[in-house]
Amino acid sequence: MLTVCHLYPGLLNLYGDRGNIIAFERRCRWRGIPVKVEEVNLGEVIDFARTDFLFLGGGSDREQELITADLRTRCTDLAGAIEDGLVVLAICGGYQLLGHYYRTLDGTEIPGLGILDFYTQAGDKRLIGNIAVEMEFDGRRIQTCGFENHSGQTFLGDIKPLGKVLKGYGNNGRDGFEGARHKNVFCSYLHGPLLPKNSHLTDYLLKLALERRSHKLFIERLDDSFEESARRVMLRRMGLK
Amino acid sequence: MRIRLMAAIAAAKITHYLSKTMGGRGSSLPGLIALRVFPGTLEALVRQVPCTVLVTGTNGKTTTNNMLAGVLESSGLRVIVNREGANLITGVTAAFVRAAGIGGRLKHDAALLEVDEAAFPRVAELVKPKVVIVTNFFRDQLDRYGELDKTVSFIKTTLQKIPAVRLVLNADDPLVAQLADVGRPFIFYGLGNRIRGEEVQTPTREARFCPLCGEEFIYAYYHYSQLGAFRCPGCGFARPPADVEAHTVIAKKHITHCGIRVKDSITQVTLPTSGFYNVYNALAVMGAGLWLGVEPDRVSASLMTYVPAVGRLQRFVYKGRPVYLNLVKNPAGFNESLNLICSSEPKDVMIALNDNHADGRDISWIWDVDFETLERQKQILSYICSGKRAEEMALRLKYAGVPIGRIEVHPNIKSGVRRVLEGMGSVVYLLATYTALWPVDKVLRRHAMEVADADRLSSLPRPS
Repeated sequence: MLTVCHLYPGLLNLYGDRGNIIAFERRCRWRGIPVKVEEVNLGEVIDFARTDFLFLGGGSDREQELITADLRTRCTDLAGAIEDGLVVLAICGGYQLLGHYYRTLDGTEIPGLGILDFYTQAGDKRLIGNIAVEMEFDGRRIQTCGFENHSGQTFLGDIKPLGKVLKGYGNNGRDGFEGARHKNVFCSYLHGPLLPKNSHLTDYLLKLALERRSHKLFIERLDDSFEESARRVMLRRMGLK
Repeated sequence: MRIRLMAAIAAAKITHYLSKTMGGRGSSLPGLIALRVFPGTLEALVRQVPCTVLVTGTNGKTTTNNMLAGVLESSGLRVIVNREGANLITGVTAAFVRAAGIGGRLKHDAALLEVDEAAFPRVAELVKPKVVIVTNFFRDQLDRYGELDKTVSFIKTTLQKIPAVRLVLNADDPLVAQLADVGRPFIFYGLGNRIRGEEVQTPTREARFCPLCGEEFIYAYYHYSQLGAFRCPGCGFARPPADVEAHTVIAKKHITHCGIRVKDSITQVTLPTSGFYNVYNALAVMGAGLWLGVEPDRVSASLMTYVPAVGRLQRFVYKGRPVYLNLVKNPAGFNESLNLICSSEPKDVMIALNDNHADGRDISWIWDVDFETLERQKQILSYICSGKRAEEMALRLKYAGVPIGRIEVHPNIKSGVRRVLEGMGSVVYLLATYTALWPVDKVLRRHAMEVADADRLSSLPRPS
């Protein structure tokens, strides 16, 4: 049984991000892998050690502050689980809060959880539009796509990016990188949502979650023609593929 | 200045004519041209109209505005309306230009304008409305607006800057109800009690948390998304008592009866349309009527003859079967449309999804729509996905659990419409996003007959 934890679905649910949960859950079920989704709200108990896949979405500024405060009380547990190989997908606001801080335009630094080595600086222009990113996992290079919409610009320290920007802005619109990856933590600015169209990535996360429980390492292939054509339409529109 | 105004109007009228001849709708472009030629066009024209009403909010703007236009026109007033949903500053300007004579004179009694939430601050400061109706705030095209909180706060600051404005506010939406504290006279409207039989709870509620203090709301019941009887345990902010309130709502096929209390008296209203949300629109019109001095009975009589605008649950007939066309543009509205297609008769459904600027370039919002309710709807025989993002729509349905054998992808709208009309069901529903709506309507008209309002009215009870 895989346990999916959707953190703060009531707060971090901008831009259809719950599609990521839907995709992960369905792809388990289609393969007959038992799965359950737990929604955790402010102040409720989370057992990170029992969690197989943790999802953190994005929220508006006000909501972001509420959840950072709540997560801070669980920070040690979360950092421990991450070192232990917990599979995490953090999108947009959820991505930013794992880093050191978010510096607003007037210079105030809103501290993050400081679990991963990067910081975010507010930009004067929102980075909005379709985006294509080349990611590499399991030795394969995959072109993924989505929609980004963020004013924060993220700069990585001693941590790998998730991928290279092919079209769009990515982390900060300057260094050509998108997202961040540490152990089994995947951070990204891609909405769209990310997982349904980019089923290679979904299956990779699923595989990592199973491996962590030392379950079967082989996961059966599915008919991904719908996923492929939805992805292809956007890649083609961006002049790729 | 008059010369520049006349030049702007002439240029705009020529543009309008050319764009019509070329098959366009000419709803915004003439406004753009007029503003280019003379930036003061809108101010110069609006000054000549004694009363301006603005309708803003996420859903229900077009219907509310058109209903209100019907009410005022039936009282013999001459009104300017931006009918086509052209609700940015260019569309508003175009409506005035179209109404003006070539000399730049207007003889109208009122201007009724639906205004996009993001365009509201600029338009409202220019036209200085007498009355503002705010319908509701749902998530809509966020890539244009930034987040919902910001949109609402811009509207709030703008209302504080307009002297002598009177407000008509939805009491059931906490994001709207909070606007009452801008210090302008207001009327609240809402649904009285647990009118909607079933417990409606969707995970896409916008306003889970009090906009004033951040505590989570407690709801006695919901009507529709976050609309309902909310109360904040933190600061006590709660659904205010409404001056215009629906107490009974009976939905029948194609018509809705409601009993509406206006202050202390009850008025019966029959709307020639289904769709729960239309009750809200009617209440807003009733509320605006109070500020404009129109008696509730008069409003009620006019609402009976309301004809939906393009894509507001418009009815057609194809080979003897009913065909409905409805606009979908955000999760809250889409969920309401899904309620309609979950009715029991066998049917075929087309969903046309575009991602042009006016639709919102980010289509992530379709993942916030509760398509999962379709998983067990065996009476929906086929889902035809169309438009620029047809493939993504098909993917969404697949992940909602719809059997993939029933999903077909026809990005081309013409072939999508043809295909859905040939379905085996006894009813056809076409749902389209904003820029897909007119192409769908155009193709539909070539094949199916629109049900004229005369037919519609004959099926209604006569007013006593």
